[in-house]
Amino acid sequence: MIKRLHILGVLLLLSLSGLTPTALAHHSFAMYNNEKQIKFTGKVSRFDWTNPHVYIEMNDAKSNKHWTIECANISILGRLGWTFNMVKVGDEITVIVAPLHSGQPGALLKQITLPDGRKMGNGNPAGPPDPKLAEG
Amino acid sequence: MTTLYMARTALAGAMLLLVACQKDSAPAASVAEATPVAKAAPLHIDGKWFAYPGQVDPLERTIDPPKPIPEPPLKPEYLDPWKEKQAKLREADKKGEPIASGYTHCLPDGMPAMMMGMFPMEVLESNGQVTIIQEAYQQIRRIYLDDKIPAWQDAEPRFWGHSAGHWDGDTLVTETVGIKENVMFRNVPHSAAMHIDERIHLIDKDHMVDEVTITDPDYLTAPWQWTWMYARHTGYKMYEYVCENNREFADPDTGKARLKLFGPDSK
Repeated sequence: MIKRLHILGVLLLLSLSGLTPTALAHHSFAMYNNEKQIKFTGKVSRFDWTNPHVYIEMNDAKSNKHWTIECANISILGRLGWTFNMVKVGDEITVIVAPLHSGQPGALLKQITLPDGRKMGNGNPAGPPDPKLAEG
Repeated sequence: MTTLYMARTALAGAMLLLVACQKDSAPAASVAEATPVAKAAPLHIDGKWFAYPGQVDPLERTIDPPKPIPEPPLKPEYLDPWKEKQAKLREADKKGEPIASGYTHCLPDGMPAMMMGMFPMEVLESNGQVTIIQEAYQQIRRIYLDDKIPAWQDAEPRFWGHSAGHWDGDTLVTETVGIKENVMFRNVPHSAAMHIDERIHLIDKDHMVDEVTITDPDYLTAPWQWTWMYARHTGYKMYEYVCENNREFADPDTGKARLKLFGPDSK
């Protein structure tokens, strides 16, 4: 709990100090369907802390479907409080994502819930999670 | 503001002299020789800058944002095709099938777009040069002070062109030529003769503007002008940015942006 409060405090400070991401992004996120967000849980099979984007590879534990999940980039996430070692292969995480319009198994991250319960966003360019899914 | 700066500059100069005196316990003659140090250009715009108001928390938005960038005053034969292209791009985005852009290929903005790049910007003032670093793509622009830009016909085409500048009081006045014709801002076409004039200055100690004027005898009927604004973020440490894991590509048939997906083996 103390740890969570600490992180919230850091995020609040970052937010107050204006270290929030720009409204721009490496590319248009228009290929993702923000109106049909989905939520699933599974184990991380690969985590790329890289530019121009950070990527999470994982399986949806229920359907066993593999997903490539695009996140913002190192600096946007860094300014939000993410770190390079925050997600590890084998971690069980829950994600809320906007899937590709094309129907292929790729998606844009909206929110990640880490094994310790912390919930992190993906920055302003990617946009917020669907509130209904975020509450559930 | 100007008075404040003059006061700060005078104070900084006095401190430099004081430090010089203490360090060497130098006699008056040596202090006099050291005056070039004290006379070094005062720091005007040095620091870390975030786009204003885009990258700034709403709580800090106490200054009116600049006016939106107007439509480019393109000659009629270029204006209609440009409008059509912009409409097509918007339509493709709406359909969820964005067209690939320079970013898809990890190409940097170039000038003038890098002056309002995706991420924060660092301005470094040194002897005879102002260097501007945009975090996205680690773009670097060097403005040589009291130098001359080449004639556009002689300027090697580059992403950031060739910039020269001088201080007009507290304003950095720059000229830039030699922007590659495929390096476009807002998809606006331009010729090799395009000329970028800028006046970069503080509006208070923590806010800076870049007044941009683009002229192009081949494409524009009048100067295209706008102002960009920035907020200072002291202590911000710039991230590195290497486009090492670009999973996006342009569909060779449609030109649409696509994402490379990994399989169950995560490869």
